[in-house]
Amino acid sequence: MLEPGTEEKTFTLNLGPQHPSTHGVLRVLLEMDGEYIAKADPVIGYGHRGHEHMAENRNYFQFLPNMGRVDYLHALAYNQGWCMAVEKLMGITVPERAEFIRVITAELNRLTSHLLWFGAYLMDLGAFTPFLYCFDDREHILDLLDRVTGSRLTYCYYRFGGVPSDIDDEFIAGCWAFIDRFRSRWKDYDNLVTKNVIFINRTKGVGIITPEQCVKYGVTGPNLRGSGIPYDIRKSEPYSAYPRFNFEIPIGKNGDIYDRYIVRLAEMEQSLRIIEQALVKLPNGPIMAEKVPKRIKPPVGEVYQAVETARGEFGIYVVSQGDVKPYRVKLRVPSFATLSILPEISVDNLVADVVAILGSIDVVIPEIDR
Amino acid sequence: MLIDTIQKALAPLNLEKVAPGDYAKTGYHLEVAATPDQMPAVAQAMLKAGCFLESLTAVDVSPEAFTLVYHFANFKKLCRTVVHASLAKGTEAPTISQVYPGADWYEREVFDLFGIRFAGHPNLTRILLPEDADFHPLLKEFGAGDAGTGN
Repeated sequence: MLEPGTEEKTFTLNLGPQHPSTHGVLRVLLEMDGEYIAKADPVIGYGHRGHEHMAENRNYFQFLPNMGRVDYLHALAYNQGWCMAVEKLMGITVPERAEFIRVITAELNRLTSHLLWFGAYLMDLGAFTPFLYCFDDREHILDLLDRVTGSRLTYCYYRFGGVPSDIDDEFIAGCWAFIDRFRSRWKDYDNLVTKNVIFINRTKGVGIITPEQCVKYGVTGPNLRGSGIPYDIRKSEPYSAYPRFNFEIPIGKNGDIYDRYIVRLAEMEQSLRIIEQALVKLPNGPIMAEKVPKRIKPPVGEVYQAVETARGEFGIYVVSQGDVKPYRVKLRVPSFATLSILPEISVDNLVADVVAILGSIDVVIPEIDR
Repeated sequence: MLIDTIQKALAPLNLEKVAPGDYAKTGYHLEVAATPDQMPAVAQAMLKAGCFLESLTAVDVSPEAFTLVYHFANFKKLCRTVVHASLAKGTEAPTISQVYPGADWYEREVFDLFGIRFAGHPNLTRILLPEDADFHPLLKEFGAGDAGTGN
């Protein structure tokens, strides 16, 4: 009960940890001033599995399957990050064909991630139909990836020095068929969502992230590019076979939800372009480096390797003390930095818009919790 | 060149080491060694050069000391700077969260997993582990089964 003479101005609203729009187990404590947010405080860690601790207790190869379980939506980028970090420590060179296969599969995986975001996010905003369209498209990619990797979600496909199994003609034909099919769907996506006046009104000018905020918080990925900064590790710090391909970095202007949406949609087209070029230029040759030691025991030293995932920069910092186990592994995950900006961008917004903003920054909670 | 700008900006701080790194081997363009007390000034200089804080973490290097590891990169030009700062166990490091608000969560994570305290941090509480946890799992003395089964 309130003491006489005092006036309660705000109240607390608990969002999550079990809430459909938090896409994982995330809790946000909202301090409300009527319908408006006075303060937002994300509470994380519900899915903490201690990946960094696990890394110190197993050898380099045994840690590989963990990578598919950090960001389960873009598992292959994490596979690639870990493999490249170890390859750098060991001085292993990956054959050309393997790099191309890595690029093709990682880009397909990026498409599945963006498509899932697209469907789930529009469902957050109350649109059910787009979800059915994009899950239909996504299913085709999952079948393709299933064929080469053996799994549908938590992929563990790359190995130190290359990839364990080659892609076949059926996979390549399937990729071409998918590219044609997916391009023919753009019109539907645009009609359903991009030109939808309800969608436009809910997203334009809402949840703005400024370039200055991106620098202060270390926001990367489509959220950063939506704010107009063309920073993409695939171009800024080229790795694997990416320098061989022509593609653009789509950027937005205003940094609002709508721009982030446009950036992700445009990125899907760029991924298609990369896959097309890789399929055309796909070289023959081995898929595994010749001299990969059976026992991975890197010399004393440390490396930092960055890759561009669907959510931004994944950085992996490995310290080796010359043992078969890593001495320390730090996973710099993009969603961690992105979510830490939520308190700042959600203040003074309506509670309904917080759901829209939270979905638009596309965080994967198990990646934050590690 | 950005690397020259950063080197010039760091020169007046009298740091232990500011040297170009072997990028092909480590991924670093610039390697810096500093004391934890110098970190707020280093962070200020990095922010002025337009760099963002990529990651902030620690390594339990010996029974006597931690190494704090700060990575900075830049959205416009490729230049990764790593700063190593040795911190004696049982002592505090100053926070850099007033310079980089993004460091707030990173420092909470380091506190959570290593027990390192950051002086001046606005809310130094556990972030990943439960509030009532009584251990810091990334300390080397903490073994693989020490967290128990949770029962």
